[in-house]
Amino acid sequence: MFFQQLINGLTVGGVYALIALGYTMVYGILELINFAHGEIYMLGAYLGIIFFGFFTASGLTSFSLLLSLLLTFAMAVIFCSAYGFTMEKIAYRPLRNAPRLSPLISAIGVSIFLQNYVMLTQGATDKVFPHLFGTSGFTLFNARVTHLQTAIVLVSLFLMVSLHLFITKTKMGKAMRAVAQDKAMASLLGINIDSIISLTFIIGSGLAAIAGIMIALYYGLVNYSIGYIAGIKAFTAAVLGGIGSIPGAMFGGLFLGFVESMGASYISSEYKDAYAFLVLIVVLLIKPSGIFGKKTEEKV
Amino acid sequence: MLVGVGGCQKKGEIIKIGVAAPMTGDQAKIGTDLRNGVTLAVEEWNAKGGVLGKKIEVVAVDDQHDPKQAVSVANKLVNERVAGVVGHFNSSCSIPSSDVYNRGGVPMISPGSTNPQLTEKGYRGVFRVCGRDDQQGKVGAEFVINKLNLKRIAVIHDKTTYGQGLADEFRKFVKGKVEIVYYGGIIQGDKDFKTVLTSVKEKNPQLIYFGGIYPEAGLLVKQARELGMTVPLMSGDGTIDPKFIEIAGVKAAEGTYLTFSPDTRQILTAKSFLENYEKKYGEIGPYSVYAYDAANILLAAVREAGNSEGKAVMDKLHSMEFSGALGKIQFDEKGDVTVSPYVVWVTKDGNFIEYWRP
Repeated sequence: MFFQQLINGLTVGGVYALIALGYTMVYGILELINFAHGEIYMLGAYLGIIFFGFFTASGLTSFSLLLSLLLTFAMAVIFCSAYGFTMEKIAYRPLRNAPRLSPLISAIGVSIFLQNYVMLTQGATDKVFPHLFGTSGFTLFNARVTHLQTAIVLVSLFLMVSLHLFITKTKMGKAMRAVAQDKAMASLLGINIDSIISLTFIIGSGLAAIAGIMIALYYGLVNYSIGYIAGIKAFTAAVLGGIGSIPGAMFGGLFLGFVESMGASYISSEYKDAYAFLVLIVVLLIKPSGIFGKKTEEKV
Repeated sequence: MLVGVGGCQKKGEIIKIGVAAPMTGDQAKIGTDLRNGVTLAVEEWNAKGGVLGKKIEVVAVDDQHDPKQAVSVANKLVNERVAGVVGHFNSSCSIPSSDVYNRGGVPMISPGSTNPQLTEKGYRGVFRVCGRDDQQGKVGAEFVINKLNLKRIAVIHDKTTYGQGLADEFRKFVKGKVEIVYYGGIIQGDKDFKTVLTSVKEKNPQLIYFGGIYPEAGLLVKQARELGMTVPLMSGDGTIDPKFIEIAGVKAAEGTYLTFSPDTRQILTAKSFLENYEKKYGEIGPYSVYAYDAANILLAAVREAGNSEGKAVMDKLHSMEFSGALGKIQFDEKGDVTVSPYVVWVTKDGNFIEYWRP
């Protein structure tokens, strides 16, 4: 049972981690908690359903399921990145030098707006994603692992590693780290702050879009309010790992999924949502900056 | 009989009846089904000249299946001076709202709240056209014991008044005859039940009984199959909805047992209702006929009472016998229907089929 719960926790945790990365990257650069980030994830799930439906209707899915899925992911990432980019331009950039509370309130406003926008355009009822993979999978150490779960964990890990490499190894990543450390100094050295901030939102939103489609595939059920609780959980994961720290967000997400699974299975499933916050309180009491919080040089 | 009614109808005089149900959110479909049922009944009355010479108007409110919101919209309906309310759907909304209606002297007829507590408060104006969970849980228990001869059962509920109430009633009736190997709650609105199901699987039950509504039921059975569990799911009237099969997938939903009232399609009196409803709104929801009957009963009581005063209407509701689409309906002292037959349905090839009668 332990191994099965570990798999359950890892799958969900991987998704939490992908969303948490968006929170932590934005916080690292702007010291802003982007409360609308959960809605980008929700938009990703909806766009996934819309594009997949479109590709199915146009006959691409019956030609090649893999191609159709890849294109669905690509389109959703492009659209969500555009949403993230626009969101920053409209709601946060004009407030960049305002008191810290102003962009926070603006973020909550964007979140409410996006939720209602989806509710009005897509309807309030649950949307069902087609059941593509059935129950196919394999048994490992007495635990049932579906192919979809394997795919979710692998894709999450791949994206996390790629992001880590991007930030530590590339020039662009170096610029991001520089902006995170000192905006004024970075700008003096010729880094275009605005485009780096835009890039941060684009990457974060793209990751959230992928998380959204994977969850839509996994549960097969999407509605306009899923962004809220997922956003709160991912935010918790980001704070748990140390907000602003990228390895922290990855670890926080996976750890949160693990804690939820174990708590629900060994204590009681009725308080599943509570365990995450319980752990958060404990971590904040012992180490207020989060588990990876101290390593400021890793901050982006 | 109704000729000339239009002549004595005062201009602008209307009688309002309320519909309170979840119109948005994950149960929005149920709310729409209920509103359509009531609207159809009201349109039929209006076509015949309304009631007491007045036109009837439907006031639909959204309780978002949230008890706080339910109390707020209940107050709104009382302030609008409705002659009566068809609603609410969820027991967790009907029970607190019944206080509001009782204070305001407005009769309410719930089309789907099956928790026993609703009619146990001694309010004279509270009625329901559906059955009660103690009756439903009992039929479910008899089915499991007598028909399936099971020995080990897991019970899961969604912690709501309805879901946990039903699960507890079921548990009460199987106690001593069947071993309950797992009993636990999940969170309504959650999407991931694999952790719970993994614990359930460990206990090796022969059946999972779920007290709750279709979105969670659909995900439960889907994820159980993904974990390699093949045991059937059994649930109550909150799960019997085409969306359940859509969410679970036809294959995973196959062989799910559900307690519900007998098939409307086999009730002769419901034939014209079914035809009219489908012509107007398309596919019928499982609760549409309850809302339709509730609205008709309410309006008939207003007609018999001769006015839309709450007390007079309540008296008529208690004393009259109605023949609706569901057949003969009469309320007992508490406001429950005197006859409430529950039967067991099963899902087969993506459809619900009546399967077993106690």
